[in-house]
This record gives sequence, C-alpha cells and structure tokens, in this order.
Amino acid sequence: MKQLRSNWLYSLILVFLIAFPFIVGALTESSPTGVPRGDRMIMRGESVRWQAVLIEVFILSILAMSYNLMFGFTGVISFGHALFFGSAGYIIGLALEYTALDTGAALILGSLAAFVICGGVGLMIGFVSLRLRGVYFTIFTLAVAEMFYIFFSRFALTKAEDGFAVTELPVWLDPSQSRLTFYYIVLALFVLTFLFIRRLVNSPTGAVFKAIRENEDRALAIGYNTLRFKLMAIVIAGMLAALAGILQVLLNKKIGPEMLSVGYTIDPLLNTIIGGIGTFAGPVIGTAGLHLLDTFFRDATLVIGGSTIQVANVWGLVLGLIFILVVIVFPQGVVGTWQSWRLKRQIRHLESRMAVEPSPAPESG
Amino acid sequence: MSEIILEAQNLRKEFGGLIAVDDVTLRVTRGSTHSIIGPNGAGKTTLFNLLTGKYSPTRGTVLFKGQDVTHAPVHRRPHMGMGRSFQITNIFPNLTVLENVRLAAQALSSDSFRFLRRAESFTNYVDRARAALALVGLESMAETPALVLPHGGKRKLELAILLAAEPELMLLDEPTAGMASEQVPELMRTIETIRQQGNKTIVLVEHNMNVVMNISDRITVMHIGRVLAEGTPAEISHNNSVQSVYLGELYDLPRAEN
Repeated sequence: MKQLRSNWLYSLILVFLIAFPFIVGALTESSPTGVPRGDRMIMRGESVRWQAVLIEVFILSILAMSYNLMFGFTGVISFGHALFFGSAGYIIGLALEYTALDTGAALILGSLAAFVICGGVGLMIGFVSLRLRGVYFTIFTLAVAEMFYIFFSRFALTKAEDGFAVTELPVWLDPSQSRLTFYYIVLALFVLTFLFIRRLVNSPTGAVFKAIRENEDRALAIGYNTLRFKLMAIVIAGMLAALAGILQVLLNKKIGPEMLSVGYTIDPLLNTIIGGIGTFAGPVIGTAGLHLLDTFFRDATLVIGGSTIQVANVWGLVLGLIFILVVIVFPQGVVGTWQSWRLKRQIRHLESRMAVEPSPAPESG
Repeated sequence: MSEIILEAQNLRKEFGGLIAVDDVTLRVTRGSTHSIIGPNGAGKTTLFNLLTGKYSPTRGTVLFKGQDVTHAPVHRRPHMGMGRSFQITNIFPNLTVLENVRLAAQALSSDSFRFLRRAESFTNYVDRARAALALVGLESMAETPALVLPHGGKRKLELAILLAAEPELMLLDEPTAGMASEQVPELMRTIETIRQQGNKTIVLVEHNMNVVMNISDRITVMHIGRVLAEGTPAEISHNNSVQSVYLGELYDLPRAEN
C-alpha cells in the first residue's frame, strides 16, 4: 500500500522531469535543443540552461544515493567516496583522450574499466580496512582518498592541478551539442539507479545490510559473515559512484583532481543527512534542494547597510546556516523526520488499540 | 546410550591476572536442559562466552557434536546448529518484529546473496519467522518496530530470533534477566515447550536458582570460576557446599518438586 502510493508520486515526478525541457522551453519561449548556427547547435536559452542544472542534480543524486547505500542502509561511514567518483572520471577521461581507440570503443571500454576498477578498489579498501570499526575505518578511507587526490594533483601525465579537457565525444552524446539527448540519458540512469537501490535494499541482501546497520554483533550471532556483506555494499556503492563520475566528466568535458577532493565526499554526505539518512528519496531531495538553492542564489547580491555582498563569496556560510537550520528542524533529515512522524502516529494508534483490547468484553447472559 | 552434544574440556580463561574460569569440564546430553547457575562473579557469563565463541579460552577445548569448535568464528556457529541468546536484549531495534526473526531464518541459506528479488518473495523464511513468533506468543506484534515492544516482549523476541534458525543446541544467557517476576514462569514454560516440541538441547545460564529448578535435567553450580557441584536438581538442592555458597549470599534454597 505505502509503496504503491509512493510509486504514484514517483511516476508523477518522472513525467514532470521528462516534460521539463519542453515546459521550460514553452514558458520562456526558448528551444529545448538550443540554437542552430551553421551545422552546429549552440547551447543558448533558458531550456538548455535548466537542463544543465538538472543534469547536475541527477548526477550528484546518483552520487548521494550510492553514498547512502553504505552510510544510511549498511551503517558504514566512509570519508573516501570521492575516490570512486574521481577515479572513474580519470579512467573515462584517459580512455577518451589518451588511447588510440575510436570514440565509441573508448566510451564503452572506459566505462567498463571504470566500473571494474572502482569495484576492485572498493573491494581492496574494504578488505584491508573493514575489520576496523567505526571511526578508524572512516579515517582510513579519508587517508586513501586524499592520497589519490595529492597524487593526481602532481601527476604530470594528467596535467597535474589543471586536469585535462575531454574533446572527443560523439555529437549525439555531447552535452554542448545534443544536451536534450544527454539530459534523457542521465535521467534514465538516475531513475535506474534509484530503482536498483530500492530493489537491492528490499532484497534478502539488503535486509542483511540493514541488520548490520542496526546491530552488527547480533547479525554475526545469527550467522551472517558481516564482513562479506559490508564488502558487497562498498563495492556496489563504489560502482554507482563510478557511474556518477563518468557522467560528470561527460557533462563538463573536463577532468581534474578536484573530482577526487574531499568536497565530493562531503557533499553527498551533507545532502544525505539533510534529505534523510537511510531513506530512498532523502539523498535526492537533499541534493536537489541544495543544488537548486546554490543555482538560484549564487549570482545574487545582498545589500546590507551600505555594503553590497556577493552571495557567491559567502556561499559556504549560507550553506552552513542552512545545514544548522535543517538539522534543528528536521533532526532525521526531511524525509526521515516525516517518516518517523508518521511512524509515531502509527505507534500511538497501535497503543491506544492495545489499551482497549486486553480487557475482553464481559459475556452477556 | 545418551549422546553428548556439547562438551567443554578443562576450560580456563584468564583476564590479565584474574582467572575467571578455571578448569571447567562440562558434558551436555542431547535433548536435555542443562542449567549453569552460580552467584555473581562465579564465572557463568565467561563460561557462556567461551562456549559461544565470543572469547577464546586460555586453555581447554569445546566440542560440539564431537567436532572441535573452540576457535570457530561466531558467525559459523549458527550454521553448525548452535544458537545463542543474549542477556542484555540484543535485537534490531528499527526493524519490525517479523523482520528481526525473518533475518535469522534467512541467515543459514545462500539466498542472502540474492539482491534482485524482494525479500518477502522468499515466503519460506517469512513462514518460519511467523511460526517462531507464534511459539513465543508475539504473532500479533509482527508488524511493529521491535523497539516499541515492552521489555518482556523483547525477551520473547530474543527467543524467537533464536528459534527461527532452528538450532539443535540453544544456549540461553539469563533469558529472564530484568523481567518482572510474574512473567518469569510463562517464559520458562515457553522454553520447556520449545525443548519438547523441537527436541532441542538447552543450556541455560541463570543467576536465580529458583527459575531453573523445575525445568532442568542437570544443573552445574559454579563458584569463583570452578565447578562446585553437578547433578540433578534434587541432588543440587541437598548439596551442602551449594547451600553454604547460596546461603552466604542470602539466597533461599528451593526444594525441587517431585
């Protein structure tokens, strides 16, 4: 019942997202496919601009959902998630720019390599460090991710701090040529990721993930080799983060060490906390909320007293204030607080029913 | 004739300079209820942790069905047929009562690695979980989050989790801990029913002697890390050294009925 009702809501949102480029196009009288100039398309107009914003929301949502699979559903707190995101970015970038493969083959093989390598890296990190519990594991993952960040910031072959541009993309995929197509591809992958995670979490395996989150010792005592399941979670999360990394490089047509920086760990973490840890929609709501706020207000200016303040310069401060506010108002995130409110109501209902039930009605006669 | 299902041979556990368990030998017959009792600090819980694999003994071995399980990892033991409960309620608080038990039913199969089908579609585990809940009298609470259960309900859930894995040997660590005394007989009756219906072996660690007198086949009394006495409830209740240990602690010594 509950899932059926949320499925309705999700379908409605999906229809809206599919129609979105055309809705914006109609409202602002701009073309959803951009403006043709000669045999090229120029990405100008409100519709394509908003498509870019939503594409970023989808990509960062995939990243946040993958983080939530470990953090929210399995209870494994890693500070090294950017490692998967950035590594996948470098792998697809290197495949496209540094190999003699033609573009199509480079895309396919590069993506496959990114998935396999990120899964393998997850397996290795997990195997070495998942025996550590709690904060020690978290610190270890942070150290490994930072190591890669520093390495790629200095590595001459990948242009060190500057990173390198990805120029070789087929026209049909190139977001600066066919943004509408790219929008639908990313939307489809976003929806698939969402459905995949929901199916996974509701499966026997996902049940074990949640058991580990709730009480790892008990999960061990009833016969689960919890290390194996935590490894599974980290590998799957790593591969989904790799998907986000690949898409990010295709969108920006550029890869640099910033994709490995701790920011791409903190963002999905914050987005998940704000939206609701261990909920399906939470990471998406958190990501969309913060990213849209960012987009709306980044270019704004505030006039306080006689001085003008560029919001972009104090964005970190604004974000911090939003975070504090949300944590106070929604201690379990937006979706989490809503769910626990409903649960509490259900429990009250149940308790009032139990208070009535135990005394059987006196038999008449 | 009677088969020994669990055997501890000369178990010793030292924590630094403290000897918590000293040269304990124990034989549990299949199908029996064997209680381990003793006053506070007697080493009952340490012995329990040695039997269930939470601690490794300093010396000695543990045999289960003739197999050396002294160092078998905790998560392997349910697969062999050993199940344990916890003294401090140890459940999955935010999952439903049913899910708590279903997880235990699912644990012993490789279905736990199937991640593309809904967990509820594996109905045999749901059925087994519901049967275990019915046995302890919690079936009406199946859909409630486990943390909402009252304390006595959580103790029953603890038992149901254990039952769902269908162990041959159930090791119970003070199943009545913290329960209101009027609820204790009901739980003990449940344990007795479980043993009879499932032809199970039960090892029961208890602090309170009264609780175990009527349901035990054999009782081992521990005192400062050693076995003080072992025998039938009648033998134990007439044992002088047992009396002095318990009287020293101001316990009433009950007489076994029948």
